[in-house]
Amino acid sequence: MSPLRRTPLAWLNLTHDRRRLATSLGGVAFAVLLMFMFNGFKNALYDSQVQLLQLLNADIIITNTQKYNMFVPEAFARRRLYQARAFAGITAAYPLYINNANWKNPETKATRPVRVLAFNPQDPVLLLPDIQAQLDKLREPNTVLIDLKSRPELGSITPGVVTELGERQVRVAGNYSLGTDFASGNGNLVMSDQNYLRFFSNLDPELESRNLGMVDIGLVEVEEGADPDRLARTLSQRLPKDVKVLTKDAFVQQELSYWQDNTNIGFVFTLLTGMAFIVGIILVYQILYTDVADHWAEYATLKAMGYKNIFLLGVVLQEAVILSVLGFIPGFCISVLLYNATANATGLLMQMTVSRALSTLLATFIMCLFSGAIAVRKVQATDPAEVFG
Amino acid sequence: MMDANPTPHNNHAAANSNAGVAIAQSTPAVETHGLNYYFGQGDLRKQVLFDLNLTFPRGQIAIITGPSGSGKTTFLSLIGALRTIHDGSLKVMGRELVGMNNAQLVEVRRGIGFIFQAHNLFESLTAVQNVEMAVELLGGFGSKRAQAIAMLEQLGLGHRVTYKPNSLSGGQKQRVAIARALVNQPQLILADEPTAALDKESGRDVVTLMQTLAKEQSCTILMVTHDNRILDVADRIINLVDGRLESDTSMRDFVTAHDPKTLDPRMFML
Ligand SMILES: Nc1ncnc2c1ncn2[C@@H]1O[C@H](COP(=O)(O)OP(=O)(O)OP(=O)(O)O)[C@@H](O)[C@H]1O
Ligand SMILES: [Mg+2]
Repeated sequence: MSPLRRTPLAWLNLTHDRRRLATSLGGVAFAVLLMFMFNGFKNALYDSQVQLLQLLNADIIITNTQKYNMFVPEAFARRRLYQARAFAGITAAYPLYINNANWKNPETKATRPVRVLAFNPQDPVLLLPDIQAQLDKLREPNTVLIDLKSRPELGSITPGVVTELGERQVRVAGNYSLGTDFASGNGNLVMSDQNYLRFFSNLDPELESRNLGMVDIGLVEVEEGADPDRLARTLSQRLPKDVKVLTKDAFVQQELSYWQDNTNIGFVFTLLTGMAFIVGIILVYQILYTDVADHWAEYATLKAMGYKNIFLLGVVLQEAVILSVLGFIPGFCISVLLYNATANATGLLMQMTVSRALSTLLATFIMCLFSGAIAVRKVQATDPAEVFG
Repeated sequence: MMDANPTPHNNHAAANSNAGVAIAQSTPAVETHGLNYYFGQGDLRKQVLFDLNLTFPRGQIAIITGPSGSGKTTFLSLIGALRTIHDGSLKVMGRELVGMNNAQLVEVRRGIGFIFQAHNLFESLTAVQNVEMAVELLGGFGSKRAQAIAMLEQLGLGHRVTYKPNSLSGGQKQRVAIARALVNQPQLILADEPTAALDKESGRDVVTLMQTLAKEQSCTILMVTHDNRILDVADRIINLVDGRLESDTSMRDFVTAHDPKTLDPRMFML
């Protein structure tokens, strides 16, 4: 079979020396890996902040006007939920109670702050299957469900363990899986509203006692086909100004924006990702430059034979594209493994989504083309007259 | 520009430059008039070629010799359209190179076969692929393999077509490079010390092969060499010293050079 196409010079030059190819791909893969990891950490920190909020079974969220992020403990009066229910298009409104408490590690007896999420087991507040399956256990007195992804500092959290929560005896009735965030302390505990009363209604005078009349987050459900945006606006206008009404998406976005605007997480990790990108450019440039430098006489000979600059530029850019694609694949695979390992080790929410993978692929592409564009100048400068003599 | 002067030395070339194909056969392969060349700019400007007036008819094999630094390579690179020229006149296959832009120079190069001291083959390509790179330059994607193999066979490398350069001997590599230079059947071949990297035997073989193929394709060869052992293949020997033409020895009248008997007086001359 006689080949009808051009000799694939870029491909052959790159793959000719297997060991060098492996080193080159390792370099690209490493840059890809760094970008994925830094981006992954950044996204994980953001994603973790809103994972609980995203699980809330609501179309519209009502909070105290002053609660601009999950750290703010201000609650609002439960009757606002009753008022909301009266609006046309609203089918239900459930309260979620949140309070911080100290958990005593059953083994070391050291106390650690945790976050308690409480609701009426009859209300569809958190639809995690593990929680829904254990609602009966929540109804027993002094029981909690504990997140398996809590910090290990909490000690043993297997069902049946008995220890203290806020200086009152508590029994672990079951587990579920969620993950921690900045406001959740060492982990999230789920209990019934009745147990919430048992634990937090009679606290020491210096601690603020809680009751079911003051709600931290109100979950509002709208009729099928109703427009949550419009209803949220209506509620916002018509309810007293001590509460803030947002669609769930807007509520999640408010929390995200808080972390994006008020912390350096984004800046730090964007900087790190940018540095990985630049390291990648330098690495790939080195690879391409070495190829051009090592084959200088051959490229110059091609020019003397009558090949135009544009052909040689094409060869270098093809090498760049091949490197980016071939280097991305191992970089991506190792990143997926490391995402899982990191998630298991730290409880961070490391999510590899299609759009994140594609945007890193695009970044890799740009990285390699950029290096190619710099290395190409070396080829352009190659003087075919110099091969003589 | 000072081109378009009729050639005093050459009756054939006196025909006007826009002659058709038939007449073009009689235009010299290379023709220079008052060719000067300078390296550098301003105070550093240094002239390396001085007022060269030379005509190389088609089919001639000319050897250019001279001491190191005398400008042989520079002269060859000018004829090869590898440098822009500003002074004098240099016609290759009837086309004036002085004043050409880069794209036009590239076009001229495609009709020339280059052979360098180093073979300059891509290590990543097989012998036949290296030769195909030249065929692709002029299109021939369908026939490139056949053309390249035929050329390699003529050079005695039919059994080595799929070898990569690092499994070939020095002489074999240079023969692949020659196949690459000849495969498009150029009318002009420029070779700068093609045997310098080879031992005596293979150097001799390579030059003889070049000579045979050149005669078959009736192309012109300009070859720079220091190698006295191969001077006998030449029809003419040109000696450059300090960028000036020192001597221009014609072995015999070019028309009778194909006569095998002419070999003896040449050997005698050396
Ligand atoms: N790129 C350059 N820039 C400046 N000067 C140059 C350049 N190339 C060659 N020269 C000078 O031009 C002169 C002629 O050089 P050239 O290479 O043509 O000599 P040569 O006859 O081929 O010598 P050799 O036998 O050593 O190959 C020399 O003095 C050299 O130093
Ligand atoms: Mg030289």
